[in-house]
Amino acid sequence: MLKNNAARLRLIIPLLVLVIVSVGFVLNSGTGTLSALGWGDIVLLCPLGALGTMLAAKLLIPQALISLGIAVVLIVVLGPAFCAWICPVPLVQKIRGIFGEPKNKGREGQQIAIAESSSGGEVVEAEVIAAPATVVKAGEELSDKEKASLKGCASGCDACASKREKLDSRHFILGGTLLSAAIFGFPVFCLVCPIGLTFATTLLVIRLFSGGDVTIALLVVPILLIVEVVVFRKWCSRLCPLSAFMSLISKVNRTFKPQVDTAKCIENSQGTKCGLCAQACEELIDPRHPERGAREMNECTRCRACVDVCPGNALSIPILPKKDKRLEGAPPLQNNDAGV
Amino acid sequence: MEDSQTENQLDESRDVQELGEDPQAKDELSKGPGPVSRRSFVLGVGGIAVLGGLGGLRFVPHGSLVRPPGGQDEDRVIAACFRCERCYEICPRGVIAPAHIEDGILAMRTPTFDFSNDYCDWCQESKGGEPLCVKACPTLALELPAGATPENTILGKAVLNTDWCLAYRLIGCRYCYDACPYEAMGLDSTGRPYVIDDKCNGCGACESVCVSLKNGSIALGATERAIVIRPLDAVQGGESPHA
Ligand code: SF4
Ligand code: SF4
Ligand code: SF4
Ligand code: SF4
Ligand code: SF4
Ligand code: SF4
Repeated sequence: MLKNNAARLRLIIPLLVLVIVSVGFVLNSGTGTLSALGWGDIVLLCPLGALGTMLAAKLLIPQALISLGIAVVLIVVLGPAFCAWICPVPLVQKIRGIFGEPKNKGREGQQIAIAESSSGGEVVEAEVIAAPATVVKAGEELSDKEKASLKGCASGCDACASKREKLDSRHFILGGTLLSAAIFGFPVFCLVCPIGLTFATTLLVIRLFSGGDVTIALLVVPILLIVEVVVFRKWCSRLCPLSAFMSLISKVNRTFKPQVDTAKCIENSQGTKCGLCAQACEELIDPRHPERGAREMNECTRCRACVDVCPGNALSIPILPKKDKRLEGAPPLQNNDAGV
Repeated sequence: MEDSQTENQLDESRDVQELGEDPQAKDELSKGPGPVSRRSFVLGVGGIAVLGGLGGLRFVPHGSLVRPPGGQDEDRVIAACFRCERCYEICPRGVIAPAHIEDGILAMRTPTFDFSNDYCDWCQESKGGEPLCVKACPTLALELPAGATPENTILGKAVLNTDWCLAYRLIGCRYCYDACPYEAMGLDSTGRPYVIDDKCNGCGACESVCVSLKNGSIALGATERAIVIRPLDAVQGGESPHA
């Protein structure tokens, strides 16, 4: 049921948010943008905006503190689900599809991309493990060097897991965001936040058409936005401090995590290679073998791509993890569930 | 739908490819799994440097702006406003507008006024005098001191340009005089309006009705209305606002 809908919903919801904000703006309803969404006195602030302004103004702002608390609770429960379901940035990144280079369209493009990655490297390995099916297809095109790097990896997947970074560039930016707000006395990052810029663009366009308000910002704001997230495609995984904030808090997240019913996974039930879930995951997670993915489960945005792609219907996103299903090769007994 | 999904996968593989291009980063890693790869370090430090550069904007002076009620402490607005757009969205008269990049990069998207169609009545009409913008601001960037009233909160001052005003060019006009809710305008012996500075709080009513740009005989070189609201310090600085 949800199969095709999840991907569609992930486009529709952010679009809807943009529409609601625009309508709210035209009608002066005071719904606010994603930076501070809410009605009347109940406003949920962006956690970075809340932290940044408090640091900059050296002031405890009640509304900001309350929002921060709510945001933390939401992240603990849902992880960075915001990224997949609400954030407008992936929507903006779809622009790339419009101007996309044709040679990268379709499956051929994918093979080319993989074959081109001949210089080897840690993440190449990670991708190779994560997507064995693709490697088999692209096998003939591998250079000697790449084969060597593949062999090197055969030493074991724990090696890859231990190579995972504890912190990445996003966390630096998060630190820089908070530090710069405190030092310079204004929320520096908010100036260039692509979420803010998306809404600013919407608003500037509305103002252009409703009041004929012409300004250079009408060019500068969208261009900055496009440079940030469309030209620099890896905004989300490399730079976004909000994603860094969520990934840190998600380390304690235990609920709504993708879980594999190993008995149903065709790697067990049919003894064939699969790995489709790891291939589908845009966050470079391997839901089937979490220890093998390039990134850990705390980055999971609950996008459901893995759930939808699984040929064995082995994946689900339960509210709470079901421990017994983790047993490798456990037969799908009815009383397994009842036993706990 | 499927197309876009494939595309996203492509991006990841391209992503991976670019990562793999730096053999040195790989060496660095194989020496021993540090907590942070060199690439992340470079990207992270680069990002922080950009933020530091942007932060330097704090020291670039920008022209002052007419701020909505509660925004009279400029440092406070700059520090606490995170450009959430709530204030401009909620204003029932639609007079709050985002400051433009022309007003300074630092001030861009912070709230200022656009009096072209309406003025700020402190939400008298819709809220009985409780400014909604102040109430809507979640970070206290707009906050009124206790006992603030429209009369004692000076948003700006009206400045009348006699070169552009119709009345001074002997075309009978007194729209601004009639519009002023604070009796801050007078008429001289020949019926030409003037601003009584002490009483003007910068509400914008006069600017919002000024017809100097709509009338058939627009003064030569007129780039804005004949009466406009200027920030307090611009007026007190003694400079001619139309210089
Ligand atoms: S693990 Fe599954 S649900 Fe989580 S981000 Fe990856 S594909 Fe989406
Ligand atoms: S997609 Fe499903 S069947 Fe394939 S490896 Fe993942 S869990 Fe197993
Ligand atoms: S006080 Fe009311 S009318 Fe005046 S700017 Fe604020 S919201 Fe608008
Ligand atoms: S509501 Fe406050 S924080 Fe938001 S844009 Fe207006 S002044 Fe800035
Ligand atoms: S002179 Fe203009 S700005 Fe000043 S109080 Fe009167 S209407 Fe308002
Ligand atoms: S409305 Fe404008 S043109 Fe008319 S008198 Fe006032 S300032 Fe002059």
